[in-house]
Amino acid sequence: MANAFVAAFEILSFGAIIVLIVLGLGIIASMMGIFNFAQGEFVLLGAYITYLAYAKGLPIWTGMVAAPFLVGALGFVLEALIIRRFYAAPIVAMLGTYALGLIIRESVRGLIGGFYLTVPEPIGGSIDIGTMHISAWRFTIIVITLLVMVGCYLLLSRTNFGLRMRATLENPSLARASGISTPLMYGATFAFGSALAGLAGALIVPVFSLYADLGIRFLIQGFVAVMVGGVGSFIGPVAGAGVIGTLSAALPWVMAPVVADVLVFVLAIAFIKFRPQGLIAGKGV
Amino acid sequence: MPKSMGAVKQAIPAEIGGEADVAMGSSGTAVQAAAGRKILPIVEGVVLVAALVAPLVLQDYLTVFATRVIILALFALSFDLVWGYAGIMSFGQALFFGSAGYGVALLARDLDITNIFLVLPAGTLIGLTFSLLLGGFLLLGRHPSSVIFVSLGTLTGSYAADRLARGWYYLGGQNGIPSISSMTLGGYEFSEGPAFYYLVLGILIVVYLLCRFLVRSQFGLALAGLRENEQRIAFFGYKVQHLKAIIFAIGGAIAGLAGSLYAFHEGFVWPNMVGVVVSTQVVLYVLFGGSGTLIGAVIGTVIVEGVSFWLSDNYRDIWPIILGLLLLLVILFRPLGLISFVLGERERVGSFGAKAKESVKEKRNAP
Repeated sequence: MANAFVAAFEILSFGAIIVLIVLGLGIIASMMGIFNFAQGEFVLLGAYITYLAYAKGLPIWTGMVAAPFLVGALGFVLEALIIRRFYAAPIVAMLGTYALGLIIRESVRGLIGGFYLTVPEPIGGSIDIGTMHISAWRFTIIVITLLVMVGCYLLLSRTNFGLRMRATLENPSLARASGISTPLMYGATFAFGSALAGLAGALIVPVFSLYADLGIRFLIQGFVAVMVGGVGSFIGPVAGAGVIGTLSAALPWVMAPVVADVLVFVLAIAFIKFRPQGLIAGKGV
Repeated sequence: MPKSMGAVKQAIPAEIGGEADVAMGSSGTAVQAAAGRKILPIVEGVVLVAALVAPLVLQDYLTVFATRVIILALFALSFDLVWGYAGIMSFGQALFFGSAGYGVALLARDLDITNIFLVLPAGTLIGLTFSLLLGGFLLLGRHPSSVIFVSLGTLTGSYAADRLARGWYYLGGQNGIPSISSMTLGGYEFSEGPAFYYLVLGILIVVYLLCRFLVRSQFGLALAGLRENEQRIAFFGYKVQHLKAIIFAIGGAIAGLAGSLYAFHEGFVWPNMVGVVVSTQVVLYVLFGGSGTLIGAVIGTVIVEGVSFWLSDNYRDIWPIILGLLLLLVILFRPLGLISFVLGERERVGSFGAKAKESVKEKRNAP
């Protein structure tokens, strides 16, 4: 019983991490039609900023709060300078963002060297429920993921900003005709997606520690999750991330980890092949 | 904001031009002299001559390096066929390269088969089989697959293979398979050096000529149409998906051939060889050189590998950053790659089919 509970918690917390990482990726893919290969590096930057705050002796919290804003600002600038030119061609966008990611990753590698740098958890210790102990920080990540998910959903579905964003992405020319500044909305969407990646990086760095390939590790899982969930809505990629995250965390409990690793990808690709529209089809939030 | 963007725009083409001058250094004069004539055969000829004399002027350790570059150029050729000619974004080309490498490494390790006439066809066959399987699955079917699906599907395939190779004890896990014995021909052993160099150069030339024939044939014409406007080609009655699967399989076979040569040349195989790192590497070569021209893939490989070798002593850390920046500049301002500095659009697309005189002339000039 206790073991099963711990296993369930592990699976849940890994699922939450994947959801957190995929949120930004999914928003950019769904709303802008761009599969952003630099997303993993935005996660890495978020983690790096948190590490910097820690290394400079500031409370870790400040780094975690600053990360999404700084990475979001960077995303805004990159969109205006570079990403903007790629909208017409999705494959070129992949290659271009791959190049961007390469630059960011190698710069960070140059700064930190080939090391694994640890950042302590801002909330240490464990939560005890009877005889069982669960990590307090992982629990916090789950809670924050839920809050961010609900926040994003409300932002996109209930606010004026969300409405303008969706209008721009669904029909740009009509949105422009209605007086919405579409370049600004594209910039804001990309910045928002990047900021979510920055937040994800900041939150997971105590769990995975900081190394240059931190982002890559999650990128392909993220892409697969977005495709499984279905491109075009906010909720689709989130659902996909839940499924992929849960499967990748759960399968190693019942079979050899190597087989589980590969099986998740094979299952996912087969699923997408036979249901290209994904779990949740259609546009909207 | 708009002001700063303008500044960037102006600054960058100058930089890229400078880079190209450096890159094209050796062939620049020849190209200028021939302005207005057919340039492609001249570029090919210059590259061929440079490749032929390279081992005579290079030191031994550089010949070994040059051999590796030639093998990688063969690999780049396979990606160029798939992406540059058919417009299929294969982000997992290393899957075929690496699986063939692993395959021949296992043949050498477990069955002691190193005969060149057995291992090279075996590697090619492995590449062909895997690309038929993956390509068939991703490209064929009732609903045509989206470009995004194919590119992410190949990427995922390559990543999954990487993970499998890392975790599978039989394949050596993280360390791969070390110390593969040399390729043999009767009693002769191909070890690193000029003999191996000329062997792979010969193979590259043969494969290059076959590819050249292929892309200038009716099949190549259909492929070019496919790349430009898939729907229109489908309306003409071509089975678009079959064409794509065929070229994908051909690309896989060439990648397999390159992979088996690479395994024997380096003497070991390791998980990166099937993974995302090498997959993206080959994309870089082709984008740099110029996709959609066969020679562009070769030139791109030589430039990227050459500069990276040259810089790796002093600037090992910043080279990948420079590479990323250059790649970004090429994508933004020279989508057709460095070759487009000397090669016009008309010649890139080329002439097709039964223009007998033209093709005879071309053949005489070609390597």
